[in-house]
Order: sequence, then C-alpha cells, then structure tokens
Amino acid sequence: MNEITVLYSNTIAGDADAVVENIQSALDANINPEKILNEGMIAAMQEVGRLFEEGEYFVPEMLIAGRAMQAGLNLLRPHLLDSEVGKVGKVVIGTVQGDLHDIGKNLVGLMLEGAGFDVIDLGTDVTPDQFVEAAKENDAKLVGLSALLTTTMPNMEKTVDAFRAAGMADTVNIMVGGAPVTQEYTDKIGADGFGQDASRAVSVAKDLLSRFED
Amino acid sequence: MSQTLPVVFLACKVFEGILESKEESNNVFLDYGLHSIPKQLTKAVQEQLDALPEPSLIVLGYGLCGNGLNNIKAGKHTLVIPKADDCVAMFMGSRKRYMDQFAENPGTYYPTKGWFEVGSDPLSEYKKLIPKYGEETADWLMETQYQHYKKLVFVAHTEDDLKTYRPRALEVAAYCERFGMVYEEYQGSDEFIQKIDNLFDFQDKISEEFVVVQSDGILKQEMFL
Repeated sequence: MNEITVLYSNTIAGDADAVVENIQSALDANINPEKILNEGMIAAMQEVGRLFEEGEYFVPEMLIAGRAMQAGLNLLRPHLLDSEVGKVGKVVIGTVQGDLHDIGKNLVGLMLEGAGFDVIDLGTDVTPDQFVEAAKENDAKLVGLSALLTTTMPNMEKTVDAFRAAGMADTVNIMVGGAPVTQEYTDKIGADGFGQDASRAVSVAKDLLSRFED
Repeated sequence: MSQTLPVVFLACKVFEGILESKEESNNVFLDYGLHSIPKQLTKAVQEQLDALPEPSLIVLGYGLCGNGLNNIKAGKHTLVIPKADDCVAMFMGSRKRYMDQFAENPGTYYPTKGWFEVGSDPLSEYKKLIPKYGEETADWLMETQYQHYKKLVFVAHTEDDLKTYRPRALEVAAYCERFGMVYEEYQGSDEFIQKIDNLFDFQDKISEEFVVVQSDGILKQEMFL
C-alpha cells in the first residue's frame, strides 16, 4: 500500500500517532502536500461522516478520527503554505444561543481549516448579536451556525434575522448544520446553505463564497 | 375524525408500563436509544407502521427525538404524535415547562429513566469506552463530550420513579461531578401522559398539543415547530 492509502485508513481508525508518521513519510517521499491532505485525510473524514450517518460509527469514533486529522493537519499546515495553498476566505462559526454541543461545530471547523479557510470560532452558546458583531469585526462574508437540539434550533432563525436587521443579508452568507437541521428548515428560515455533514459543509462554504466573486 | 379506528400505541420502550392501550396486542414498544441514530429510528417506526394490516389510529409515543420521526409516511393509517421534542417534555408534564426549564438552564443534561435502563448515561458510556480505548482516551472522550454541561437533572413524572432510579442517578451524578455538573431532580407530572392516555378512548378530542397526520400524509419536522 502506498502512503496515501495507509494514511486514509489510519485517519478513519483515528490512530493519531500513525497519521503523523504517515504524513512525515509521505512528505519525505515528496508527495504533494495538497494531495496528502485531500486524498489522505479529507477523503477519510468523508468516509467517517458516512459511517456515522449509517450508524456504524458513533460520536467517540468520530471524535478520535477528528483528533487524528487535527494532529496530521498540525504537521502538514506549514507545508501547505509552502505549496501556496492560500487562504480561501474567512468564516465565523459557533453553536447558537442555548446550545453547548460543539462536537459537530468543531469537526466542521477542522474540515474548513483543512480546506484553507481562516476559521474564527466563537465557541458555544453564541447570541445572534455576537455572531453579527464577529462578522463585522472580521469582515467575514460567511457565517456557520450549528445546533444539536430541536430546542435550540429556533435560535438559528433568530440569528439569520439579526443579520437581516443589521442590513447584512446581502453581504454575509449564512450556512447552518447540525443533527436536527434539514434543507427544508434552512429554506424556511432563509439561510443560504445547509451542510449535511462536515465534509459537505466545506463544499457548501466554497460555493457560498464563490457567489461573491461573480 | 368521523369514524372510530382501532388504536395502536407504537412507542419507545421508555413508556412501557406507564402508558398502554387496554388491549395488549395493540401495543408495540421499540428499543431505547434508537434516536441516537435518527435514520434507524425512522426505519424502525416505518417498518412497524407498514406491517400493520388494518388502517388504524397510531398513537406514536415519540417526540421529534433528534429528527428521528421526520419523513415518516402515514400510508393507510392516521398518526397522532405528542408535539414535543422528546420524552423529557412528556415526563415534565408539558412542552412549555421543558422549554422554560431549558431556556433558564442551558447546559443541562436531562436523563429520564430510559437513559438508566438502557445504559446510555455518562457513567455507563465511560465504562464501555475504557476497554475499547484505554483509560486516557476514554477520559478525553468523556471530557470532550461533557465539559460544557453544568447540571444533571433527573426527570421523572412520579415520585415513585424518582425513588426507584435515584440510586443509579446518584452514581451517575457522582461520576459527572468531574465535569463540574451539579445533580438535581425534577418531578414533573403525568399531565402530558394522561393526555396521551385519553387518545386511546377519545379519538375525537385531539388537542393542539398533538400533531395529526392523516392517511397518505408525511410527518414533517415543521409540524412540531
């Protein structure tokens, strides 16, 4: 097996030590760092997302895989800059007011970081105003809202409304995600994108940012 | 509803012994914990519905349960579901009570007896993680998942249930102290449970605290919001 295949398996298994070793030997073998990231770790996290959705993986497996990817990314990041993978854009993320569950949000943050985004993580229990202020301060055009509970999901709508009230509906795109969130709900509250899982959130984020380039 | 349909109670095991329709054969209880994989909960409920030959009034002993009931198809049946996020609201006595509690205390973990019965409380979870990952990683996994919680509030609808499960709840609470979680109990009421019970006899009196899906309809998350 080549370095990338081994890295892919070890990321899925969540073996952080092995992931770091694999990346080092892949770098030593002059494999393109972007290829190491995309085909080794990001593809693996997509598979982890699928396994979770199918009920074959649970939260612990996902956390451990995420931790392995984080360790790998720490080693790989300086090399990615070397190969001129520039910052794609800024994104502000956080869990909505009342929700303290940050596992999903952290995974999305990790994947966005891997994809070259500058991630501004506001943490948990973030009020609508805090989201608005952070987007303004950082001049971010993209905001990601996360909720695990059906009881806190309505605060996504309040946050979307707060951006509208601040006159930022046209300058900021909002993406939402989390276990109870659906495409229908996303449309209903007028959010701009729905990330069904962490890897799909990255495609949505890229897509939303590209709207500003036109 | 003009005509009377046979009533079937299709519910989470958490209601077994608490809520049952009079005819035993008309009760179906599904395993605890299906909500942790919403897709599996949807599948399990749908299979049960599809397997019932006679058009019936199905009282679902579920709430939104992490979206596990989204997209359930009624088919030939009529569905009635408590308008609640999950069983916590039902044991507290009303959805409003749950929402009020929730707004006042974000970061509260609300186990009901089902959590203890099925072993999905933090202490059982921790014990299962140790042989699989070793103590250090198990500790890290638990810390990562529970660090933001401030309270552990055991919710039951009767004093008897509080008493029965209290010893286990306290064991779990002792473990959860390491995350800074404070233990409390909340005795709800059987108000909501009574309302579900009434459905078995009075099909024509379905209140706004329930979502009704007519035959051929599809259960949607927005009906609960």
